[in-house]
Amino acid sequence: MPLLDVFGISASGLTASRLWLDITANNIANLQTAGRPNDPLNPAYRRKVPVFAEKLRQALDSPPGQPSFNAAGVSVAAVVEDPSPPRLAYEPSHPLADPNTGYVAYPNINIANEMVSMIAATRAYEANVTVLNAAKDMALRALEIGKG
Amino acid sequence: MDLFASPIMVALQKQLDAAALTQRVIAHNVANVNTPGFKKSSVSFTEELRRALGEDVLPLVTSDPRHIGAPVPLARVEPTVVKEEGTTMGYNGNNVDIDQEMVNLAANTLTYQAAARALGDRLSLLTYVIRGR
Repeated sequence: MPLLDVFGISASGLTASRLWLDITANNIANLQTAGRPNDPLNPAYRRKVPVFAEKLRQALDSPPGQPSFNAAGVSVAAVVEDPSPPRLAYEPSHPLADPNTGYVAYPNINIANEMVSMIAATRAYEANVTVLNAAKDMALRALEIGKG
Repeated sequence: MDLFASPIMVALQKQLDAAALTQRVIAHNVANVNTPGFKKSSVSFTEELRRALGEDVLPLVTSDPRHIGAPVPLARVEPTVVKEEGTTMGYNGNNVDIDQEMVNLAANTLTYQAAARALGDRLSLLTYVIRGR
């Protein structure tokens, strides 16, 4: 039944938004996770971002006579690390400071970006909830056909 | 007379199917609101239904259903999904306008509920006729 597919599509949107919020929370939590510059054994935390991709069903499952719309929501294709360089701070007394230069590598995280991502993820989640509730109302109304 | 194939019943059933498909399309658009490069889809149905019901068309005299200008028979009207490739909303190539989607969602839910109500009323009318009380 096509109406019930909507639940799966909205659920994929909810999952993607929640994962994005988790990743943002992880970025903010690691705001001060320092590392030693140019030392692969003590890397600074790098900002992570999700990559969203449109999810499509196999065109084969669409039943004959139904209009072919093979959309199935959204998927998270990958979680990638932001390649921008870490922020260097001169703190010679820090245990992770580079012994030659005295610099410590801090994550390449801008708190303003993370707050914006957080709001965007929250709003996307709310929009998907609204769509899910609308689909639920429609399904309930369909059950009332013929009840008299 | 076929009780269940009257134009109003067929049109209401088609409207319900079209609204269910529209709901899927809106859900897909909203789920992909942050997907880079995603292009939204929309459903075109009302115009076709209106033409099939003979509204808003300039009548062209036809003597055969295969003639050009003859309206599509109601039983063959299907909603079609159209992908809108031309526009872009943000910097990432996505063209989902969340405000528009939410308005379409509200309108579509009401359309579905109205069609379901009309179909239910129609069926209870039949019940009334059959029972005679």
